[in-house]
Amino acid sequence: MISWILVIIGEILIAVGAICDLIAAIGMNRFPNFFVRLHALTVGTIGGAFVPLIGVALLSLGAEFLGVYRFFMAGASIVSAVLLLFLAPVGSHAIARAAHRSKAATVHPKVVDHLEEDRERGVVV
Amino acid sequence: MEIEEHVMLFITFIAPVFIASIILYLIRALRGPTIPDMVIAVDAISFDIAVFLAVLAVYFKSPILISCVIVLMLWAYALDIYVAKYLESKDMGG
Repeated sequence: MISWILVIIGEILIAVGAICDLIAAIGMNRFPNFFVRLHALTVGTIGGAFVPLIGVALLSLGAEFLGVYRFFMAGASIVSAVLLLFLAPVGSHAIARAAHRSKAATVHPKVVDHLEEDRERGVVV
Repeated sequence: MEIEEHVMLFITFIAPVFIASIILYLIRALRGPTIPDMVIAVDAISFDIAVFLAVLAVYFKSPILISCVIVLMLWAYALDIYVAKYLESKDMGG
């Protein structure tokens, strides 16, 4: 009974993650410039990778057909989910900062860019 | 219905969704006008493939596959940092 509950919850989380991933992929193609696409990246990374990994952890805990190694899989997927929480924000922040500082990505539909003004005034490195 | 059949059936339905999102990310990676666009598309692809790998590890009943997920995530992170360093100071460093 408990394994059925774990499997169902795991599958729901994986389904939610897959849908989030699809939405993020569509968003990644439709957003106007790089900095808006960072939002799609975050949806695709946290919603589309962290949530399914927790789902895989629960699913493998409930699935007896995997044998004794299912605990190894649950532990590894929880560790990679937590690791993802560290890596994804730092990586996307580093690339966003580099893109803005090196002007590799332009803010296309721009109303005002205070960071650019601060950077020209030398307030921000 | 047994748990095993249920899980296998579910994963066969979920796999196309993951593959479709990988293809959409690939379109952005190939078309991306600027370098950072390509980098975040490749970043999203590698996290997406990592999760797909974890789901396939359950599908193929081979637990050793799950250890590649951690390595792939570290690789995606390293790509971000290297490209960020290159964009800012024009040297890869180290």
